[in-house]
Amino acid sequence: MSFEELEHTADVLMRVRGATIHEIFADAGRAMFHVMYGPCEDRGVERHLTLEANNLESLLIDYLSELLFITEVENTVFCTFDIDLRGTRLSAVLKGEPFDPARHSAGTIVKGISYFGLEIVKEEEGYVVEIIFDI
Amino acid sequence: MLTGINRIGDLEWEVPIGYVPNMRVPGRFFLSRTLAETLEEGAVRQLANVATLPGIVKNSLAMPDIHWGYGFPIGGVAAFDMTEGVISPGGVGFDINCGVRLITTPLTEADLAGKKRELIERLFNAVPTGVGTKSTLRLSNKELAGVMVDGARWAVERGLGTEADLVRCEGEGAMPGADPEAVSTKARQRGVPQIGTLGAGNHFLEVQVAKEIVDPEAAKAFGIAEGQVCFMVHCGSRGLGHQVATDHLRTLESALAKYRIHIPDRQLACAPIDSPEGRAYYGGMACAANYAWANRQAIMHETRNVFAQMFGIDYDEMRLIYDVAHNVAKFERHDVDGASMEVCVHRKGATRAFGPGAEGIPREYAAVGQPVIIPGSMGTSSYLLHGTATAMQKTFGSTCHGAGRVLSRSKAKKEVRGKELREHLAGEGILVRAHSDSALAEEAPEVYKPSREVVRVVHEAGLSNTVVRLEPLGVIKG
Repeated sequence: MSFEELEHTADVLMRVRGATIHEIFADAGRAMFHVMYGPCEDRGVERHLTLEANNLESLLIDYLSELLFITEVENTVFCTFDIDLRGTRLSAVLKGEPFDPARHSAGTIVKGISYFGLEIVKEEEGYVVEIIFDI
Repeated sequence: MLTGINRIGDLEWEVPIGYVPNMRVPGRFFLSRTLAETLEEGAVRQLANVATLPGIVKNSLAMPDIHWGYGFPIGGVAAFDMTEGVISPGGVGFDINCGVRLITTPLTEADLAGKKRELIERLFNAVPTGVGTKSTLRLSNKELAGVMVDGARWAVERGLGTEADLVRCEGEGAMPGADPEAVSTKARQRGVPQIGTLGAGNHFLEVQVAKEIVDPEAAKAFGIAEGQVCFMVHCGSRGLGHQVATDHLRTLESALAKYRIHIPDRQLACAPIDSPEGRAYYGGMACAANYAWANRQAIMHETRNVFAQMFGIDYDEMRLIYDVAHNVAKFERHDVDGASMEVCVHRKGATRAFGPGAEGIPREYAAVGQPVIIPGSMGTSSYLLHGTATAMQKTFGSTCHGAGRVLSRSKAKKEVRGKELREHLAGEGILVRAHSDSALAEEAPEVYKPSREVVRVVHEAGLSNTVVRLEPLGVIKG
């Protein structure tokens, strides 16, 4: 996994690393669904998503917020995130399964994505971002 | 102990101007030396960041349950001038009007003997909890608009309570100025299936007993006696509130340049109170706050029904003492330097604690002050307090909201096993029912500051006075 949970007293702070920005977006999605539901499998549910924002950080927040909306109203849990990025325009193919209380009750509700300290930083070998999920 | 802050009283500390650049007023917080040992630098920095916002009045404040959040610290309170000041979702949080209500029953602990497990099981079946759960109440879009405008009254008119419940809610269970137009279709879609659901995380429905009466006169005024079985509901505005916060945070963040507002943290995105963006956020937030009051009203109704069926008591014998909000921004009048002034008070993880005679509290409680309900962490005591004149002078009539966390979720999971915790609490006579044991670990008592210490500080600082200590008997969690 290329995300790790860091210490945060009130909420969930995740550090996500990726060789590319695409990976950052894919793993940020995986990290959030891991917090909410625990393990998930691809069982044939597929969903497409397109978004655009002024900058990559806002796009990341919009994308994760949109995932929160979709999972709640469509009762789906996603585990793979195929990301296509053109500048600050994102197309994503999400794959997963229907929500099953018997298998998806190990996590907690994410209420929102905080702007606090959210910055996609270029490193020598790729990118890193730290995201606070309000739980 | 942190450097750069000054102790200015036994329990009062000041964060001087200059702690971070561009502070307009000093910060001030209330903390004992013991609690100060766990104070995080990040929380103080967030308190100082709030002091940089335009139009802030007197101080950026924090209660003894202060801890590191995002935007405002948890436990943060700030009031803003109505013309010069701003309104910020970062001062309210994503769970708009997360709050607590406390209800008495005519039962004693002895009445529950041998029936506690069945009671908790029946409550768990009656009140939907946890991730992904949906309500049994069917709500049309038109009815949702009623919820957003009328709050708890909507629920009472639908038969989920009585008129008497309404006067015993902060603001009578509804905020004025709710504007359904400021609530997106997405927020509505999330709101429709969730009314009457508890949610997850630290939210709960707990059966308690009034164990210790600290202030008999105030307890009498609040209608609670020693040994009485009570129940407490802690939850908020669910997905609707989360979406309102998300939507408006985005709008306000984009509007910062328009109003030339410079902030040290994008989560403090804000707009002048009387701007189109500021008004829209307020109108949407009020809708979410009202949804939360209706939600707690509906959960209380289901709980009353379970008690009535199981113990043969009357619905009306279960009296709501009060319902408080602890994540909200409100327009209130306060004395500022000897003059009455209307301000927009943000409370993020803080409770209104209006003192005796203050406007806006039920007539029956006027001589005592507003009831303040402080939920304990799982397995620990909760408290009923009353608001004070000191709170009116020092904190815009505010006090703490809970215990405040000291241990991160990841550490909690490493150190606590949910199953063992559940068994340990059962050994102490506290039954816990939840969808998963792993979620329980994150809410273990050791994850939080001791609620008795937080309550002791607000009591000794005079921000609210302890009336009753309640002990848990059983709890259902998300």
